Amino acid sequence: MNETAQRLLGSASRLSRDPETEIDWDAPVGDGYGMSPEWSTLYGTPYWDELTEAQQRELTRHESASVATTGIWFELILQQLVLRDVYDKPARSAEFQWALTEIADECRHSIMFARATERMVEPAYRPRWPARELGRMFKTVATGESAYAAILVAEEVLDVMQRDWMRDRRVEPLVRTVNHIHVVEESRHMVFAREETRERLAGAGRGRRWVSALVIAIAADMIVSSMVGPAVYANVGLDVDRAVREARRNEHHRSLLRTSCANLMDFLGSLGLLTPAASRVYRRTGLL
Amino acid sequence: MSYAISGECCSDASCVAVCPMNSIHPSPGEPGFGTGASLFIDPRTCIDCGACADICPVDAAQPADRSAVEDVQRNAAYFAEQEPLDAMDLDSWGEPSYELWGGGPRRVLVVGAGPAGMYATRELLLRTSAEVTLVDRLEHVGGLVRYGVAPDHPSTKQIIRTFERIVRHDRVRWLPGTDAGELPDEFDAVVHAVGARRSRRLGIVGEEAARTAEEFVAWYNGRPGAPVPADLAGPRAVVVGNGNVALDLARILLSDEQRLRSMQVPAAVRDVLAASGVKEVVLLGRRGPEEAAYTQSALQELLATVGDRVELRYHARPTSWTPEGLTLDDGTTIAAGNLFTAIGFEGQPIDGLPFDPDRGIVPNVRGAVVGRPGHYVAGWIKHGARGGIGVNKACAQETVMTLVSSSRALVSPGS
Repeated sequence: MNETAQRLLGSASRLSRDPETEIDWDAPVGDGYGMSPEWSTLYGTPYWDELTEAQQRELTRHESASVATTGIWFELILQQLVLRDVYDKPARSAEFQWALTEIADECRHSIMFARATERMVEPAYRPRWPARELGRMFKTVATGESAYAAILVAEEVLDVMQRDWMRDRRVEPLVRTVNHIHVVEESRHMVFAREETRERLAGAGRGRRWVSALVIAIAADMIVSSMVGPAVYANVGLDVDRAVREARRNEHHRSLLRTSCANLMDFLGSLGLLTPAASRVYRRTGLL
Repeated sequence: MSYAISGECCSDASCVAVCPMNSIHPSPGEPGFGTGASLFIDPRTCIDCGACADICPVDAAQPADRSAVEDVQRNAAYFAEQEPLDAMDLDSWGEPSYELWGGGPRRVLVVGAGPAGMYATRELLLRTSAEVTLVDRLEHVGGLVRYGVAPDHPSTKQIIRTFERIVRHDRVRWLPGTDAGELPDEFDAVVHAVGARRSRRLGIVGEEAARTAEEFVAWYNGRPGAPVPADLAGPRAVVVGNGNVALDLARILLSDEQRLRSMQVPAAVRDVLAASGVKEVVLLGRRGPEEAAYTQSALQELLATVGDRVELRYHARPTSWTPEGLTLDDGTTIAAGNLFTAIGFEGQPIDGLPFDPDRGIVPNVRGAVVGRPGHYVAGWIKHGARGGIGVNKACAQETVMTLVSSSRALVSPGS
């Protein structure tokens, strides 16, 4: 672990991003898409086709802001999980120092996401109530592989979307830059989360694996299902019931999510974390 | 510091997708991708984050300080003529591409559980909500990864574990030891991923006494039903061919007992090889080194492993094989106890589908079999016997995209 952490520290010293100075926060924001339209929860549904292009653009801006808010929410959980995990580790170890570097990254990212969403759309979003309460519990009690694999899931789901958005010229430049900053630093965080998950699971018995697998799957479901909620559709002036219904049945979106999360599922599968119970949850969430 | 990719690269490009600095090339769609050679990491832009190594299914990406010097040099050399790509300029990245959900098939049959069939199954699970029936004549998934990759390349075989997870997906019905022709006609589409296993022939006098790569590789990998080769007679053997398989053969033939013991080979194979008395191998290229199909990394590995016990000869056309040895078109004879031919593989016709005997493939347009709606091909039977294992991923993606966007009608597997 220390060798990985040492490498990650070296990588961070080679390239870290500072949103404070890299982004011109005073520059005017244009009217580009908030995310690649194909990533909209309604893309490919009849409802999407009925919207004007301006409405579609507005919808993606709100969806993007809502996803970013979910990101902030989970980054807070993550910081607490990591801090709790390294609390009694020796401060001079690379693992400890990397953990604090990661927390610092996440802290900067949260501020960056907060400022960007503030500039993009009017109302503020936050995850739905049950997710917030479960998150509150999770950050207090989760340990070991449950904590690190949940971190990985959250990071990876955001990451795959952001890789598309940052390359997409239709997307508002501010969002593209914010996403690239996140993608670069998140790549190191995911390496760390994978390594910790592997290490914590080494020697785990079937019972513990079964429980951890289910806990991670439920965390994944909470994260993914919190990304875009009814408030988004309401704020864009859509028929909320219809939008929620069509989004839920949107096979295009499910296949996009499934495809993007294939590496993640491979990783979980390789560690025996795709138990039948966990797989059922992932299928319902649309990740498997 | 940076990361480097070794010669065991499978080119499935998972690393390209996770690199946050766009440092890994050639990426799918770029010139050079899919030719079978390795991918490379640009040390000038790599930030040493390790994302590529984490995702690599065959452990080919490693930190440079843990890689062989030749691997590090090869990675750097690939980029020597180019300007470094500025990852901070997001327009230097390729644009994302999306496929719109088109309804998709309900039941698909995939014939062949080698890399092409497994990647096609995986793509179907990801892109569609179809139920996939996967059949193979053999009892295990893996195809040529299991029974074609040399046993001293165990990392490459790791990808079998990924394949084994795919068959456990609850939308997959895995029928090992099954002939597709025996299944009832109940599919919306059939993907034929049967590969190209048959060795090409030299067409010289006495060739029937030679060992083909197909037989020999299957034998040393313990493929069920593979015939035991005739006596291996030393001290010299000739291998005709200049591809990576020919190099594999030379390496295996020249492995001493200690090296053989480190490989995952059946005990009987080890005994036969150890007792063979083959002390040197002549590797015969009918054309020059510049036209050779082997990769530089494979050649380096061979030379590093067997040293001067292998003789590389180019521009040499064999004319006949006799107990005295192999006669060339310049009239000389190489005295040798065994002749091995490894001059490529070709596909065999599939019942009911058209076949292009010149290219050894089923004629197709982006994977859709010409004139046979509902039938698709992936892998070597689609594009010929070229390209590494991972290249099948991009190939299967193309086929499944074509499949998903085509109309559907009930088709039968064996027609």
